[in-house]
Amino acid sequence: MMSKRNHFAPRARKEGLVIQRLADEVLVYDQERFKAHCLNRTAALVWKHCDGRKTAGAIAQALEKDAGTPVGEDLVWLALDQLAKSRLLTERTIPVSGTGISRREVIRRVGIAAAIALPVVTSIVAPKAANAINCRASGQACTSSAQCCSGVCTGAPSGTCA
Amino acid sequence: MQKLDRLVWADGISIRAYGMRIGLRATKKGALEEFLPSLPPGWKTMRSQVVDRLYSVIVGGESAHRNIRLFNLVYANANRIARTPELHQAIDAFETDLQMYVAEMSPHRLFVHAGVVAWRGKAVVIPGKSFSGKSTLTSELVKAGAIYYSDEYAVLDARGRVHHYARPLSIRESGHLERPKKYQVEALGGRAGNKPLPVGLVVVSKYREGATWRPRRLSAGEGALELIANTVSARREPQRVLSTLNQVVAGAPVLKGFRGDARQVVDYIFETLSR
Repeated sequence: MMSKRNHFAPRARKEGLVIQRLADEVLVYDQERFKAHCLNRTAALVWKHCDGRKTAGAIAQALEKDAGTPVGEDLVWLALDQLAKSRLLTERTIPVSGTGISRREVIRRVGIAAAIALPVVTSIVAPKAANAINCRASGQACTSSAQCCSGVCTGAPSGTCA
Repeated sequence: MQKLDRLVWADGISIRAYGMRIGLRATKKGALEEFLPSLPPGWKTMRSQVVDRLYSVIVGGESAHRNIRLFNLVYANANRIARTPELHQAIDAFETDLQMYVAEMSPHRLFVHAGVVAWRGKAVVIPGKSFSGKSTLTSELVKAGAIYYSDEYAVLDARGRVHHYARPLSIRESGHLERPKKYQVEALGGRAGNKPLPVGLVVVSKYREGATWRPRRLSAGEGALELIANTVSARREPQRVLSTLNQVVAGAPVLKGFRGDARQVVDYIFETLSR
């Protein structure tokens, strides 16, 4: 298990993504899943170094150069876990730690030791056009489901919103 | 569509709004007058009859046969969007469909579901879905002296400036089941603005009874996500959405929190913008 983690060299996904760099963060829109993600500075730096050649250890060293402060591998693995779950790596899963340490424990350790922010990936589902306009409450008259907050107009086209 | 085209159309109009060409025709002379108030603000008639979307209204009412009422039918291109004996419901369906179409397809503007007011040359954008309390907060800001821009959409250009989308304010006075009442801004003692403005503040607030307004400042990226969550064309053109919203959050703080009475937030907003 350890050997698998030691040799794991993650690669950032690029296909199907729209990327917008902000001052310290990166916004990523996944066109395949209709999701938008915000990577904070630390997560963005880790993602930047996921080139399919660097292992977690090498990424940690690269981060130390970028951030100008020591960075532990635990922090990199935390970022990789979030990036993989958000489908921002070509790999869907990352090799798990064989030590049985919980994610909470890792966060606690990294939080105590880190001089840089914990990596955070925040995600939302982009709304469909119909969901991003004013809608009607349950019980109000409707002629189509697009008018209802519930998305259902019972008895349309002369109905009431479910 | 061919079946519709074969009908006799007594009246019709072609308009342009936010870069989209819209046609509207009706089977009864004078019926279009009822639909005109539902057109997007700033619409202009055009001579050409080549349009991007054509609405056809088959007017109902009393039939020649006794005790038979004919339904009002509304089509968007070939799709029927309303079939109702009540004309006001047909108008509502038309307004909803047209609003959504223009907001999603406009080539030069980005539509974010939000209330917008202006204070000292800067726009305050209040994104939020229905029932989040944004119209109430917008109306309280207007009553307190802010200039009204919209209680429906923040209409953004490529530079991230807000343009007005001034429709009557829709306010629910009691209970969410009630249909909102419409108020002209002058009836609230306010006035409407029409100059494009940079965004000075984004306020993401949700009403919760008894809550005290203690917002936290979001990062630019988190703020952009809040705006994306309310952007009509987010799925259709994400590149333009991200680029435009980046302009907004690069220059304006984004605050988020629960609020009780809208008036407690008004002073906070004015103070923040005055710094």
